[in-house]
Amino acid sequence: MPEVARRERFTLGLTTSLKEFLRQPLQVVLLLALPPLVVEAYGQAMASFPALPFMGSMPATLGRINGAVFAAAFLAGLVGLFQVIAAVEADERLELAGFGRLELFARRLGTVLVVSLLAAGTSLAALLWQVDVAAPLAAYGALALAAGLYGLLGMLIGVALPRELEGSLVLVFLADSDDVLASGLANIDAPLTDLTPLHYPHAIFSAAVTDGSVASGDVTGGLAYLAVLGVAALAVYSVSLGQGGVLS
Amino acid sequence: MNFRHVRTGLGASLRTYARTPVLLALLVILPAYMLGVFGWILPETTVSVSLSGGESVRASMSTVYLTLLTPMTGALVGAIAGLFLMQSTREADGRLVITGFSPGSVIAARLGVLVLVGVLVTAVTVGVATTMISPDALAAFALATVLGTVIYALLGALAGLVVGRLAGVYLVLFGTMIDLFLLQNPLATDTPTLATWLPGSPPVELALEAMFVGDLAMAPLARGLGMILVVGVLATAAFALRR
Repeated sequence: MPEVARRERFTLGLTTSLKEFLRQPLQVVLLLALPPLVVEAYGQAMASFPALPFMGSMPATLGRINGAVFAAAFLAGLVGLFQVIAAVEADERLELAGFGRLELFARRLGTVLVVSLLAAGTSLAALLWQVDVAAPLAAYGALALAAGLYGLLGMLIGVALPRELEGSLVLVFLADSDDVLASGLANIDAPLTDLTPLHYPHAIFSAAVTDGSVASGDVTGGLAYLAVLGVAALAVYSVSLGQGGVLS
Repeated sequence: MNFRHVRTGLGASLRTYARTPVLLALLVILPAYMLGVFGWILPETTVSVSLSGGESVRASMSTVYLTLLTPMTGALVGAIAGLFLMQSTREADGRLVITGFSPGSVIAARLGVLVLVGVLVTAVTVGVATTMISPDALAAFALATVLGTVIYALLGALAGLVVGRLAGVYLVLFGTMIDLFLLQNPLATDTPTLATWLPGSPPVELALEAMFVGDLAMAPLARGLGMILVVGVLATAAFALRR
């Protein structure tokens, strides 16, 4: 197939997936309204804590930083999970019709990435309302990275456990552990925390908001995590697609 | 309400659960993983904890957080189970009502499943937690976890009837985090009054009293049972309106 036709087919598939997402008003509301609510709720809730010695910022600011990261990341994770599960049968048929596995994966990933960028934007906008962000561009990049990581994680879980209940349980527990670890409320200093998906984006985002610095080690770590998850998600997706959407 | 109908509905739901071993395994593994990991990495630093009566006690951070995370883990599983139970059985439940089941019987059967999920999750979470902490009143501590699981399971069921799955899961995650982990956190010193009226308050208060005072606190228990009643009525009303 000529390259132009292939590109047109990919764009058509991507826009169809996005239209499917945007056609449901509740999902648009989630994307636009929930990040500001979560950011503010986290900020207000954390304001009731004393400024403990191990907290990097004032509690309310710390709460808003955490809220922004998780609002962006978890929404993308859910979209990744539900999209992959809902599209299992359609993708099977498209593969039979001649679509390549990489192309189908890229189409699903494209939708997740668009949602990730939008979720990062609304979360950052909500944070900017109450907090002076020292380096807004770096902060946006960190949120997009967080959303991208969870989007891929959602896709990976969706392929490995292609049922909404089981997939949601795993994703929620992962996100919850991540959230508790990054909340700054428990002074946890274990090497295990470096392995959590949001460790690097959270570190980049916190620094970008508070002092405007960007640590290259954190950026490298976050991008490496993204690459590993991307390869793993593609591999698992490719294997499952040839087997009716299941791994075994 | 017809008890034969409730039993039939409950039996059918339990058979559906039994047919999904992956789900049953996750209901055991995930809570155990959550508490096990946090029990392992939480520091032993001593912190001051505010109890409901205004008194404060000093305890290690790992003890405080494991006390908080036990009912929270139950609530998380309960809410997800409630959300998907109502979503996945919505059409079948509608048909059951057409064949003569009352909405109350259908809801009672689903509630029975959620209570059994709550008991299973409580057994796992309390079992894992007590390898690391020793509540002064173990039965009250377990009751706090069941209470948290059932209250949130009903809220999940309500969410399953009112909003979609994606929105429901989003609300479940952030609802439990904001309510249980942030607003009910005993390290907070200036908790807003509103927090007392949130669904996470009774189970956490009950768990803290059971852990540090060794009592079964009746006030939060009564509030928790009241919440179950209110949310149960709301879920039944939502079910009757949606079918």
